[in-house]
Amino acid sequence: MKNYDVTVIGGGPGGLAAAISADNAGASTLLIEREARLGGVLKQCIHDGFGVIRFGEKLSGCEYATRLIRELETTGAELMLSTFVSKAEKQRDGYLLTLTSRGGMERVFTKALVLATGCRERTAKQVAIHGTRPAGVFTAGTAQAFLNVRGQMPGKRCVILGSGDIGLIMARRLTLEGARVLGVYEAKPDPSGLMRNISQCLWDFDIPLHLSKTVTTVHGDERVEAVTVAEVDEKMRPIAGTEEYIPCDTLILSVGLIPENELAESLGVPLDKKTKGPFCDQSYMTLVDGVFSCGNTLHVSDLADYVSESGDAAGRRAASYARRERSLLPVNISRDFSYVVPQYLDPEADLSETVFFFRTAAERKKTKLRILLDGVEIKQKQYNGLRPPEMERIPFDLSGAGLTKDSKLELLMEEVRS
Amino acid sequence: MSVAKKQRKLRKIFGGAMELRPEKGRMHLVGEAKSWDDAVQAGLICAKKGSDIHVVSDVTVKGLEIPPMRVPELRDNALEGLRPDVMIIGAGVTGCAIARELSRLKLNVLLTDKEYDVATHASSRNDGMVHPGIDILPGLLKKKLNTRGNRMYTRLCRELNVPFDRCGQYLCFRQKSVLPLLYLTKPYWLLSGAGSTEVLTKKALKKRETDVSDEAACALYFKSAGSVCPYGLTVALAENAVENGVRLSLDTAVLNMAVEKGEIRSVNTNRGTVYPGLVINAAGVFAEDVAKMAQDRFFSIHPRRGTNAILDKKARRHIVSIYSLMGTQSKSAHTKGGGVVGTVDGNVLVGPDAVETPEKENFATDAESILKTFEKQRHAAPWLTQGDIITYFTGIRAATYEEDFIVEKGRAVRNIIHAAGIQSPGLTAAPAVGEMVAGMVRDYFPKAEKNPSFDPNRKPIVRMAELSFEERAKYIEQNPDYGEIVCRCEEISRGEIIDALRRPVPCSTVDGVKRRCRPGMGRCQGGFCSPLVVKIISETLGIPESEVRKGSEGSRLLMGEKGAHK
Repeated sequence: MKNYDVTVIGGGPGGLAAAISADNAGASTLLIEREARLGGVLKQCIHDGFGVIRFGEKLSGCEYATRLIRELETTGAELMLSTFVSKAEKQRDGYLLTLTSRGGMERVFTKALVLATGCRERTAKQVAIHGTRPAGVFTAGTAQAFLNVRGQMPGKRCVILGSGDIGLIMARRLTLEGARVLGVYEAKPDPSGLMRNISQCLWDFDIPLHLSKTVTTVHGDERVEAVTVAEVDEKMRPIAGTEEYIPCDTLILSVGLIPENELAESLGVPLDKKTKGPFCDQSYMTLVDGVFSCGNTLHVSDLADYVSESGDAAGRRAASYARRERSLLPVNISRDFSYVVPQYLDPEADLSETVFFFRTAAERKKTKLRILLDGVEIKQKQYNGLRPPEMERIPFDLSGAGLTKDSKLELLMEEVRS
Repeated sequence: MSVAKKQRKLRKIFGGAMELRPEKGRMHLVGEAKSWDDAVQAGLICAKKGSDIHVVSDVTVKGLEIPPMRVPELRDNALEGLRPDVMIIGAGVTGCAIARELSRLKLNVLLTDKEYDVATHASSRNDGMVHPGIDILPGLLKKKLNTRGNRMYTRLCRELNVPFDRCGQYLCFRQKSVLPLLYLTKPYWLLSGAGSTEVLTKKALKKRETDVSDEAACALYFKSAGSVCPYGLTVALAENAVENGVRLSLDTAVLNMAVEKGEIRSVNTNRGTVYPGLVINAAGVFAEDVAKMAQDRFFSIHPRRGTNAILDKKARRHIVSIYSLMGTQSKSAHTKGGGVVGTVDGNVLVGPDAVETPEKENFATDAESILKTFEKQRHAAPWLTQGDIITYFTGIRAATYEEDFIVEKGRAVRNIIHAAGIQSPGLTAAPAVGEMVAGMVRDYFPKAEKNPSFDPNRKPIVRMAELSFEERAKYIEQNPDYGEIVCRCEEISRGEIIDALRRPVPCSTVDGVKRRCRPGMGRCQGGFCSPLVVKIISETLGIPESEVRKGSEGSRLLMGEKGAHK
């Protein structure tokens, strides 16, 4: 049986970065990808906007993936493609993985595990859309795969529900391919995607964005014939009497992503209800020793660059992972936050490159973010505005702050009056 | 209630809108109702539960146009001039069970369905419960068939290699005081055919079903209840029937029949005219329409909708078998009240409700059904959350006003057998209905010999994920496709999908593949695998990806190659 220091599961922007950094840190590394090619969802992202932070230039998703793949090829990391992790079991000194591939069944042993399994899309039924079940209802990512990977048109007259980034990108993409996008509907009063995507994908193509409106019903027995949209109240419930019947042949959903953590759960990794990813410390180690998590598996990021950044860190720390008792310090957050990652700090581990990722719970104007240690402010940062769709990042050297397992760490937001 | 009394009651409730006319062998209800619910209520008033004199309703509703039966657009002569001994109309679980029973005999059997696959209506749209038959009145035909059918399941599922879990069912009660009474009912259940029971205190119940509601003070456990995949069983019955010589013709709708002197001479379909010796009406919600074409209409079907929700496999840890709480049943008497079912595939099913509808093929769901079902079932299962829903579906029951099954030879026509009004517990009863109809068919073909090559056993599509490491390795060595995982949620390989396309009852659609080996049944609902499944169907069957359908003929998933349509 083969034996590795670090095994990374998932070959997208997180997993590629993790495998590279683990190998660079001197660990014997294995990268497992279930698809035939590396890159994860980047393979179908032919639009640009990737890599501004990491590579200092605007790349398409495919180019971004290619850069990482080339880098991986310079390392000694082993690669298994078209390989599925059927089972992961905890053992005394690591993890036993059962792998399925065209080559047969195989077991490998690894000391540390990095989960980089990405996320899946929320479906129509998970946002309570009713009516019939005809062909022509796609999640945005599936429509993107059909169009950009298979070269097939998923529809011609499309309604898009949800203003998440993939939905916006698909609105433009479908328009460029000759389909008619009748409108993007968003149940929330604010758009969920990045402002740049609203502007570049909708305004530039005269695609209307309807806020506080949702799709309630799908019509058509065989192929989608129409959808009913309705205004929603502040609790997102459709308001009777506001229904509108919109003939179309396709409904595309961009209504959220859910981190894929089934493998993590099978290993007993506790998940944060808010992020739907594992709780972790600043090393991206989950609450189960030796299991690391990164990228969209941990929490849904806006940018592939951030996904890779957490992959870098998770891979590097997994490489130097050695079993010891951890006494974790919770990161306390005020209600102003939707969430903060990491949720814990390990005072015994390296704190010099701590990075907090957070999302605000509500849209805010000028805001001061404060980090308090035992009631004393140790860092602050000012923001001109915060929006829930935009993830924020604060790198912070906490090594000299004197953290102990009994410290109290708090993150707060304060309004700044100008 | 006498006819006169019923007529008075009708007049009292609905004025003179509807009228009951006792005719030879039937109760004819005519008139115009204000609403469909009125029309159904009138029918139920006029009917006597379990009676063999049926209400035949011609009541119309003002302003309501009931959509006609959907018929495939396909027109060919594939069946033209065929002279089968037996033609079965309807390839649901009933029709397929009948077909398999008949394949034991040396008969020429044609099984038809208007849909693109077997089990597309009620047989794939139910909760998969194999009922003990708790709440069916003794004396009804469906009671007898349910009891017999239930007993046949273990062997049937073993022969067909269909997963079946005789997990039992808990009927929970809120009042501790009923506990001693439950003991007294035990002989009744035994005698009535529901079988052996156990009485459980709250503590004992909680030991077996840890997460059942605290509202449950005690429970009655019916050992004979079980859970099966209803479409899996129907496909298996059809496959075994076909392997044993039955001819299956899908996309085949019966359009009309030529009947002379009380005998069906020919059956006209969209695929040619067939001249069967005997017709079996297993047409589900359309059984009345078929009976009418055969000029043997002596019952009416009033469709009744039921919606179920399917929960993520994560919810399965909360439930071992099946349970429901008494006293939270819906007010309508026409549902078993639904419940919470742990399925053989590892999901949880919640529902169904029961709503009358004039539309026999409107499978649309609505938010209210789900909401009400959850509200009700949460009394039994407080752990239910709508956040765990991965999908939901609606099925339509083919109820008669007498609320009993009809399994009998034609009354005005010699060569037809009706298996009609088969609503819940039709899945449980199906094997017994098959047996009963086969018995009747023997009367028509007394000289029919046994089919010497009949093999009751069916080889399933092997589910790789359920095999041991070594067994799985062996399969992959023989065929590497078994090692290529396509559906990550359900861990289904390319090999299993190709198998599904090449079965004795082949399929060519994404939904057909899904029903046979489950890609797309998981929590992502095909988000990841559907482009791959489409590709595999396209490659295996040699059709362009843009021709691959979700299900029926108008349900193509894609609209051609990009760039091609500009």
